[in-house]
Amino acid sequence: MDKNLEHLKNNYQEIPIPAELDFVVKKAIRKHRTKRTNLRWIMGTAAAVIVFVSGVNSSPTFANAFSDIPVLNNIVKVITFREYKVDEDTYNADLKVPAVTNLENKKLEEMLNKQYLEENKQLYEDFKKDMEAMKQEGSGGHLGIDSGYEVKTDNEQILSIGRYVVNTVGSSSTTIKYDTIDKKNQVLITLPSLFKDDTYVTTISQIIKEQMNAQMKSDPDKFYWVEGAPDMDSMETFTTIQKDQSFYINTEGKLVISFDKYVVAPGYMGVVEFVIPTEKIAADLVSSAYIK
Amino acid sequence: MLSNKKLENSLVQCITDHKESIYRLAYSYVRNSEDALDIVQESIHKAFSSAASLKNPDAMKSWFYRIVVNTSLDFLRKQKRIQLMDEETLESYSQGMPDVYQNIDLEKALEELPVKYRSVVVLRYFEDLKIEEIAEVLDENINTVKTRLYQALRVLRVKLNDDSYVEV
Repeated sequence: MDKNLEHLKNNYQEIPIPAELDFVVKKAIRKHRTKRTNLRWIMGTAAAVIVFVSGVNSSPTFANAFSDIPVLNNIVKVITFREYKVDEDTYNADLKVPAVTNLENKKLEEMLNKQYLEENKQLYEDFKKDMEAMKQEGSGGHLGIDSGYEVKTDNEQILSIGRYVVNTVGSSSTTIKYDTIDKKNQVLITLPSLFKDDTYVTTISQIIKEQMNAQMKSDPDKFYWVEGAPDMDSMETFTTIQKDQSFYINTEGKLVISFDKYVVAPGYMGVVEFVIPTEKIAADLVSSAYIK
Repeated sequence: MLSNKKLENSLVQCITDHKESIYRLAYSYVRNSEDALDIVQESIHKAFSSAASLKNPDAMKSWFYRIVVNTSLDFLRKQKRIQLMDEETLESYSQGMPDVYQNIDLEKALEELPVKYRSVVVLRYFEDLKIEEIAEVLDENINTVKTRLYQALRVLRVKLNDDSYVEV
């Protein structure tokens, strides 16, 4: 074959495969494939969530136990506990591990901090592995990972921490996970724990669908995979949030629901968030202590 | 929906085996990673929802590639980036160009090639598909594919020796 073609072919084969390809492919296959397994998984999670919710909500002693704690709220802080760094030509990793400090509830503090550390260790290990593999291939591609945290809300009551991971291979993908802590009562707030029963899943999903359609209408650059969007014939549309959907509480005391890149919208939309108007969910809320 | 488990399994196998190829194929049309990933995702959805229409399971790869190519073309059409070009215009491209290309010009020439010509080059030389398979993927007859390939190569000024002509 002609050497020009050979050259073009090499270029073609060197088109870098982004790290999220696997995820995108698996997710797309899973949607069609494992309806049964999915259900089982959801039920398992639901059971675990119910146990936790009952623990926090329906046991007055459990909740009261925390109200006696002297007010130390403002000292509860998030700090950068450790940093992992790799800085070699085209390979860059910068992982910042957050740590929550001064929580009276040491068990919770330890649980969160351990989780943060483990996650970042794993990212670091994976990155090193990928880097070695790429070095051996000698393909000289770029590889980058960047993790860190941002404090979304830090007031007397609430501490919401978002941990992000940006993975760069050709393009970048971003995932964000949130933890929201009630500083007064020293508990981790889960989404189900905010609501009286499971109807919030439907209510919030509906609100989000309406917001998606409204946003697309007012801004032609926006696009969501939702019923009502154009050309959705064969595409999987957003139907419902997960019971333990990623969320945080913003400084105005509003519930914010977050979706990672590629989950409910094409990649160019990035991570998407929806602020849920409190009046629409007020009837389902356990109390107005967190969400205002 | 899928008629049997076996078909579903071989589809998953086919997707998994060729995921990198279809990503590159999509990328060769849209030239950016995020759009290419979107196309991969949409193609998989389409493959599952139209698997019942696959008459010959042996031709699954070509059928799946066809979905990817069509999804990419749909995407480009929506983006209105396609420039339609008749064959006269295409021929005029091959006139008056310098004899020796810098590689960068070669790449540019490939990129500027109208999509229907670029498809055959990508599938034949980069994805190593047979002419018959390309005909299936593009839903054209074999002679059309051969003609397009020949014209495309002429534009690219790739000098063929006799061997590779037979290979075509």
